[in-house]
Amino acid sequence: MSSPAEATEYFQHVTDTVCDIVERPWRRMPKAWYVALAISLCGAGLLLISLTKLVLTGIGIWGNNNTEGWAWDITNFVFWIGIGHAGTLISAILFLMRQKWRTSINRAAEAMTIFAVICAGIFPLFHTGRPWFAAYWLLPLPNDMSIWPQFRSPLMWDVFAVSTYLTISALFWYVGLVPDLATLRDRFVARGLNVRAAIYGALALGWRGSARQWHRFEKAYLILAALSTPLVLSVHSVVSFDFAVGQTPGWHTTIFPPYFVAGAIFSGFAMVLTLMIPARYLFGLKEIVRVDHIEAMCKILLATSMMVGFAYGTEFFIAWYSGNPYEQFTFLNRAFGPFAWAYWTMVTCNVIVPQAFWFKRCRTNPYIIVFLCILVNIGMWFERFVIIATSLTRTWIPSSWHYYQPTFWDISTLIGSFGLFFTLFLLFMRFLPAVAMFEVKFASDHAHAGPATAHH
Amino acid sequence: MEKDQVDMDPNRLLPAGSEDVFYGLVAEYDSPGSLVLAAEQVRDAGYEQWDSHSPFPVHGIDPAMGIRPTILPILVFAGGITGTALAILMQWWMNAWEWHWVASGKPYFSLPQQIPIAFELTVLLAGFTTFFGMWGLNKLPQVWHPLFKRDRFLRATNDGFFISVESKDPKFDRAATERLLRDAGATAIEEVHYTTSTDLRTVPRPILGFILATSVLAMVPFAFIAKWRTTHSTEPHHYIVPDMDFQVSRRPQSESSIFPDERASRTGVDGTVARGELRDDDHFYHGLVDGKWASTFPPQIELSERTIRRGQQRFTIYCTPCHGQAGQGNGMIQVRALAVGAAATGWVQPTNLVDTAAQANPTRQPHGQLFNTISNGIRTMPAYKSQIPEEDRWAIVMYLRALQRSRNASIEDVPPSKRPTIR
Amino acid sequence: MTSNDSPLAPKAPPDKLLLGPAAARLKGLGLTAGVVCLVIAIVWGVALGDDMRRFFHSYLFAFTYFLSFALGALFYVIIHHLVGATWSVTSRRLAEIVTGAFPALFVIMLGLAVPLLLGSKSLYLWMDHDVVASDHILHAKAGYLNAPFFAIRMLIYFAVWIGLSRYFMKGSVDQDQSGDPAISQRLRARSGPATIAYALTTAWAGFDLLMSLYPHWFSTIFGVYYFAGCAISVYCILALMSFALQRSGRLVSAISVEHYHDMGKMANAFTLFWAYIGFSQFMLIWAANIPEESTFFRPRMFTEWKWMSLALILLHFVVPFVGMMSRHVKRNPPFLAAWAVYMLMVHALDLFWIVMPAYSPDKMVVHPMDFLCLVGVGGLCLFGALAAAGNVKLLAVRDPRLEASLRFVNQ
Repeated sequence: MSSPAEATEYFQHVTDTVCDIVERPWRRMPKAWYVALAISLCGAGLLLISLTKLVLTGIGIWGNNNTEGWAWDITNFVFWIGIGHAGTLISAILFLMRQKWRTSINRAAEAMTIFAVICAGIFPLFHTGRPWFAAYWLLPLPNDMSIWPQFRSPLMWDVFAVSTYLTISALFWYVGLVPDLATLRDRFVARGLNVRAAIYGALALGWRGSARQWHRFEKAYLILAALSTPLVLSVHSVVSFDFAVGQTPGWHTTIFPPYFVAGAIFSGFAMVLTLMIPARYLFGLKEIVRVDHIEAMCKILLATSMMVGFAYGTEFFIAWYSGNPYEQFTFLNRAFGPFAWAYWTMVTCNVIVPQAFWFKRCRTNPYIIVFLCILVNIGMWFERFVIIATSLTRTWIPSSWHYYQPTFWDISTLIGSFGLFFTLFLLFMRFLPAVAMFEVKFASDHAHAGPATAHH
Repeated sequence: MEKDQVDMDPNRLLPAGSEDVFYGLVAEYDSPGSLVLAAEQVRDAGYEQWDSHSPFPVHGIDPAMGIRPTILPILVFAGGITGTALAILMQWWMNAWEWHWVASGKPYFSLPQQIPIAFELTVLLAGFTTFFGMWGLNKLPQVWHPLFKRDRFLRATNDGFFISVESKDPKFDRAATERLLRDAGATAIEEVHYTTSTDLRTVPRPILGFILATSVLAMVPFAFIAKWRTTHSTEPHHYIVPDMDFQVSRRPQSESSIFPDERASRTGVDGTVARGELRDDDHFYHGLVDGKWASTFPPQIELSERTIRRGQQRFTIYCTPCHGQAGQGNGMIQVRALAVGAAATGWVQPTNLVDTAAQANPTRQPHGQLFNTISNGIRTMPAYKSQIPEEDRWAIVMYLRALQRSRNASIEDVPPSKRPTIR
Repeated sequence: MTSNDSPLAPKAPPDKLLLGPAAARLKGLGLTAGVVCLVIAIVWGVALGDDMRRFFHSYLFAFTYFLSFALGALFYVIIHHLVGATWSVTSRRLAEIVTGAFPALFVIMLGLAVPLLLGSKSLYLWMDHDVVASDHILHAKAGYLNAPFFAIRMLIYFAVWIGLSRYFMKGSVDQDQSGDPAISQRLRARSGPATIAYALTTAWAGFDLLMSLYPHWFSTIFGVYYFAGCAISVYCILALMSFALQRSGRLVSAISVEHYHDMGKMANAFTLFWAYIGFSQFMLIWAANIPEESTFFRPRMFTEWKWMSLALILLHFVVPFVGMMSRHVKRNPPFLAAWAVYMLMVHALDLFWIVMPAYSPDKMVVHPMDFLCLVGVGGLCLFGALAAAGNVKLLAVRDPRLEASLRFVNQ
């Protein structure tokens, strides 16, 4: 049991370390942050240009064709949604599993979720070509001919699932932010910086740390976590339904929902690691985001990689077992057809590369981890691309067979979305507390400091 | 402006028209553990208008303060159920009642396909209830609070632990309460005062101005939309997305510069047959067997009364205007032509299909020839192959044969049981 | 924001930790009931004169039911080590005892060898050479669905299951004596590969034992669906076992309300998971409406079996999910035990719904033989598990995390 003095020092230290990133003058921000922001702003600008060009000219600027009606657009959509899932997993599921180590990374991970979902939502919206109509037609409003949306379509389910996911994630994130925003408010008040105090104070809703309020707050946090867990499962399942509900060989298979969810968690964790490892170095968060936390994430990465591998194996086996010639052809085509290069990249990056995480050395070396995680994200992007491209370029009728090549605008939109994501994330790191201070303090041993009580 | 520090000096000058109110006492403790112990003391002493404050939820503080479990979960459950009901109702009403339509052969009310949205709306409404319910029950936002007047209290969101007791609590006694708090281990105790002057507790002008300005500006797009929807203009439409509205693709019947004949509409490529267009069954598609008119029906056609009845229906639709109900060439068009005197201008009566003495004598023509006439027309009769599918054309031929037989039959052809019905 | 342990908690007073003479009584009961019921069932099956079709379907139903218990328990043990869980330390030994039923299940599985050796289609259509020869699809699958390969696979599955359960049990029991924390480290390190082996064998066992009853049909998620049932049953069994043992005066302070709460939470969570997997399987097949896939659901939607399908949705998902949602239910051991019994019954309903339409696609038939086989197989498994357990303590007394587990507190 730590002494009150030690505990107070620890709490102050957490507050100082985390708030410092927000409070420090611009000249003390690490150069790397400025460089990264400049690059990602360029990316975001590229996105803006790409989307403007798309809206002015039409979907023809992409490489989509007959029969490849979905290509990079939906690949990117599923990719970004998948990345978002790790944030919810860390916030909600690890919370329900009482894993204390989540407290150092959950704020950044939730922020990552929201930004990833924003990036994801761009693609289905703009791939309609005329998003101002699409947004209107997708909502439960009667359209020009007084027809209502077709709720039997998984694309409609996507609308509800993704918007619910974005909303609930944002609410959950904001709820967790309020006590820390109050901390920042009070620090700005103490230093007489009234404008910033007012802004953060307004966002903090007047939080004053009252135990009665904490009681309801904790309950709400628990409920939101309990809601987010099935929600995150449902969102990626609904995304998988986009494919699985149809009859297309390679798409119509019942294992898609849990397989997609496992893959999403897999890629999401890789992204969290890619972001947090440099962040902890740059912003001095090494004692808060500790090595054993990083290790735990690597183990989860390994576990989800195995789940994804299991799904690959099961699909392949059942494709043979089913005796369905179209299904069998699809899988052989994946491995040996025109997109074999994409398929083997996917298998290598998703199943073989993460095997390195069996070894402790790989789990604890930041350079290795970041490198492998980037490979994992590449692999997971290719997984979605392989699923879409191989099934669409080799459909039922051989006379419709085609090949797909991305155009400049496909690539620029994807790069641009990364630009948007990193811009938002870098801004988040600067303007909002990147670590959940109150949660770190709560989960620490110092939270029990002081005379022992007879309670419990 | 709002940072004026209230100290305990009763002689302090107050702004005119304001009154000093004594909110209560706030005591600081040095650790979570001591906060819990102190809370138990305050609870046991019977206070009700009091609270403890900490930078994070302290273990064991809820029972120590006697905090009763919140009703939030019940509200959330209700919210969730509302979401489920709303989703099912919405999907049923929109897809199965108000404007029902078949999609991929599924029933109007397809519950399995409604489950995903039902689930999402359950979670969404439950989440909204959680969020708004929690802040509502916590009575937040409440941006101003007397406790914020104390500088020391700023530590409540950092590393400090506090208990505040309000003076309006029935058990509150300035000296006794302070003694209780101090005995429970407080490291510092302060009075909390605030003034009732509304000046100091209104929303600051810049913030009000900001809110007002944003609200007004937010109305501007809607104002524009309202204007555009209700006014007319003789100016041409503005095309914001020219390439979408004026596309490079050619319309049918328009011109194209890439072909020598400058036509955008093209015929099929020589030597190719479109899928489904092969039509290599001469008998069925052309009424020809070995290059001669078929005298039998193709095997695909069912030789039954049903086919004849179908043929009768189709004949009535397509043929009777000219050829008449009995195929005698005296349809309404013929009647009309005679009435307007078309005979004088070279009008030819539609062929009598059933009279064996007729010039063209369709009664002697093989089935295939009749089929061909229907398909491709003859003389002034147009081709009907684009309107009548092959099966129906053969059905018409079969009916025609029956009609011809009926117009040229004798009493022996009638079954005995039906003879009395003939007048 | 929950705390796993409070600053001061009572240490567990010395508990009764052995089954003692009760074990012998239970073993005897299990063996007797098992043998008697199975013999009656076999004789009845012969008497029915349908080439033992009825019998083997009931037998398979009972076998896969109790297999799911053992598989669930093995999952519990492996995951406990994999994630380094604290709360489950006090109940892990009970799960290990349940996994001791694998050898008995192996013997019971040999009963399935009868139609296999005879090449009879009493159970699996593809075991009959004539059927395979005349059926194009089965002929194409004959490389996988043939008796020798099936037998080899069964041997592999049981080798893996028995191997894993023995390995983890032995480590755990050894630790009772030595208290060596290195054992926990070793088990944890091995739990990774163990999970992989478990996942593969369980999924493929689901394909082989249950999915091949409908050899024209296929579903990639079927193995996971079977696993979901296994996972629900282990938490229910442990809750039930804990309750029964505590009623008999054993483990009274080792397993607290907090542990029951967690068992209830996991059972509830896996009920939701089961419903999710089941719904995915159903809705995807229903929506695409491809004849070769929808054959599985046709009898279950359009014949008498539809009532059982509706019952399953209501009783296996809606009722328990809502009923066990409240923490007050989960923290009340008698209530939780009652729910556990209920869940185990509807789990049987689930497996019945999977197996029996293969025997009778049009009519929903329940036969006393089903109950005889249940009691028979269950009795033998009880005997086997207790025999394998020997005189082991009911609690992992020197597990390094036992203290934390005893002091464990939920939110």
